[in-house]
Amino acid sequence: MNELERMAISRRRFLQIAAATGVVVACGPAATGGGAAATGGGAAATAGKISGTVTVSYPDEAGFKPKYVEQAAAAVKAKFSDLNVKIDLQKINSDDYYTKLLLQLDSNDVPDVTHVSGEKIGELADAGYIEPLDSYVSQWADWSQYSDAVKSGVTYKGKVWAIPYGLDMRWLYYRKDDLQKAGLPADWKPTNVQGILDAAAAVKKSNQTNVIPYALYAGPAGSGGTANHAFVPLLWAYGGELQDKDGKWIGDSPAVRKVMAYYAKAYGDGLSPKDILTATKPWTAMREKVGNGQLALLFEGGWVYGGWAAKDKAATQANVGYVLHPTESGGPSFTVGGPGTCWYITAKSKNKQGAWETIKAVNTKDIVAKLNIEDPHPVARSDSADVAEFKADPYLVASSQALTKAKFTPVDAAYPKVQAAIQKATARVAAGEVSPTEAAQRYTDDLKQAVGADKVTTQS
Amino acid sequence: MTVAGAGAIGPRSTGLGRTLKRNRLYFAGLTPAALLLAVFFVGPALWALGSSFTNRALVGIDAANPRFVGLDNYTRLFGDPDFGRVIVNSIVFVVGSAIIGQFILGLGLALLIDHAQQRGFRAANFVYAAVLLAWVDPTLIAGFLWVAMFDFYYGSLNVALSVFGLGPVNWFGQAPMLAVIIANVWRGTAFTMLIFLGALRTVPGDVYEAARVDGASAWRRFWDHTLPMLRPIAALTLLSITMSTFGTFIVIQTLTNGGPSFQTEVIALYAYHEAFQAHEVGYGSTIAVAMLVLNLAFAVFYLRWSRARA
Repeated sequence: MNELERMAISRRRFLQIAAATGVVVACGPAATGGGAAATGGGAAATAGKISGTVTVSYPDEAGFKPKYVEQAAAAVKAKFSDLNVKIDLQKINSDDYYTKLLLQLDSNDVPDVTHVSGEKIGELADAGYIEPLDSYVSQWADWSQYSDAVKSGVTYKGKVWAIPYGLDMRWLYYRKDDLQKAGLPADWKPTNVQGILDAAAAVKKSNQTNVIPYALYAGPAGSGGTANHAFVPLLWAYGGELQDKDGKWIGDSPAVRKVMAYYAKAYGDGLSPKDILTATKPWTAMREKVGNGQLALLFEGGWVYGGWAAKDKAATQANVGYVLHPTESGGPSFTVGGPGTCWYITAKSKNKQGAWETIKAVNTKDIVAKLNIEDPHPVARSDSADVAEFKADPYLVASSQALTKAKFTPVDAAYPKVQAAIQKATARVAAGEVSPTEAAQRYTDDLKQAVGADKVTTQS
Repeated sequence: MTVAGAGAIGPRSTGLGRTLKRNRLYFAGLTPAALLLAVFFVGPALWALGSSFTNRALVGIDAANPRFVGLDNYTRLFGDPDFGRVIVNSIVFVVGSAIIGQFILGLGLALLIDHAQQRGFRAANFVYAAVLLAWVDPTLIAGFLWVAMFDFYYGSLNVALSVFGLGPVNWFGQAPMLAVIIANVWRGTAFTMLIFLGALRTVPGDVYEAARVDGASAWRRFWDHTLPMLRPIAALTLLSITMSTFGTFIVIQTLTNGGPSFQTEVIALYAYHEAFQAHEVGYGSTIAVAMLVLNLAFAVFYLRWSRARA
């Protein structure tokens, strides 16, 4: 009791001091979340009188999005003469943007519209940072263009929280020229997971100058790619799951041990370069290397194809092959699906109606089609796939078809924390510090640290 | 001179009013500094201490409703297998880069340059300028400079090795701690060198004259005369570079970001990663508090050492 009392005093005092020094910004953002949702529907009725300013904040390093956001802003301004749209384009990577955004959301100076991965829906909603969109989409005719699968990807605790423009899917990319020099066919297709390592070993053996056989993301440096582009597809390939039926996260299991053994092989045999563990944003270098033929094999997002195609479409079509991820036993290949980057309305926004109008304007049939042609993703709204230019692109058609074979990453507030645990666990085995068995055991500990021991289980 | 010291001049000045009146000049002079320290140091430190007893987070349910969790974060810290490793890394980094690297190299350079300048050897000025240039580089630039040096594919070191048909060496993979230590020594040696160069000028020349007449060797002159005179300033320098090195993280973040697999994760970087990458502000603050305590321990140790010997 005494201890509690003392703490209470110290808390009060530290808040006083912090408030006096201007360190603390308003707490309790959740308090505003629920109430504001109720006003959303009512505001929709007064759509004709939208005014004020809407701030749209979004990150884009590649530079595909600005012209479409500007186009949408112009359309909104034309429709509502009293509404001003301020665009806050951040030319930083999405990880840095997210941290910056969270610090902003914790304050009172928030953008009205923001743009981050749909994987963050759970934790953003739990924090009370984002606005549920049910009352908005229910009055939006175009919402019927979004399939149930897409809708469920942006639904959390029974509410819709974000509007996606393109879905995430991944390919196992390979350089046809590099593989051919290693004696493999140009239309290479691994029959099972081992087939990837075999091809990588063949490339290594063929001793091509400046060609890395394979890049397998590991560690914190790999960021989201460590889970979504490496550990998770391998886990599924070996018949494992991230969560059990009760929603508990599975630590040490036969499949996890196999994944760790795969990592040990890829890194131990020098097939995948160790500097993935220390490089700043290793994916930048790895993507670039596939583009210029210096990396033979890489499982990566479907969207990275856009970077290569923008540089040299003909050469990319001639040299970069893409296949689905194989499984251990040669069962049906698959891809990893995800909600992609989505548009959100912040809970503290003072102009939610204006924000919604802006989101609608940037998600028209036409803009969604065009944006996904440049920044290739399967389109989130079905009618965008009917746009002639989209239908004419074989890569986009294949990517959209691949979605039928996609297994989706969990829509769970804890998933970002689980990803951090995956990063720690894979780093150890990739650095050669622990055996695969030990790495799998340590993964259990990492998970317990990340999400709490009661939410973790193991399988033998 | 401190306020307490000033007050001691007049033993009969009793009562707060009289003390204030007598020492108003000191108070007036010190108040701005005290306020700034309170705002920019004491405030955030107390805030971190307060946060360390909560599960405050940047996102998720704990961001909406931060709770007091008592000593949970401290229990977690002492049971955290990564934390032990981080402490060891921090000690290796501080000893390697501050004490062995910057301090000894800085002292050596100061002695050499001082000696050279006394003999009118002009080239010493170039060395002086070169060391100083590394120091005036912004830390981030210095970090990227060493990335350009150590990078596996494009780094100058591996390109140079390939000219001789050697390499490439994966510097960050094989010797990550050494790599970050080298970069930090390069960046920070100038500070120690400057301090000692200044201190060496204060050593009176007749001491050496007398020693030389007595036939003492250069080593003995250094050991018996130079070093004892430098001791107080050495303690202060060690304290200063130990603390700043302990808090360093930009160089490491740029070079290895703590990797591979925690091999270069030092305490400041760990606090940053937990607070702003894992978004657990409460736990990150706990690590920061541990860092503060360790820094205080260093400070007490060095100050006692300098008083005992000086």
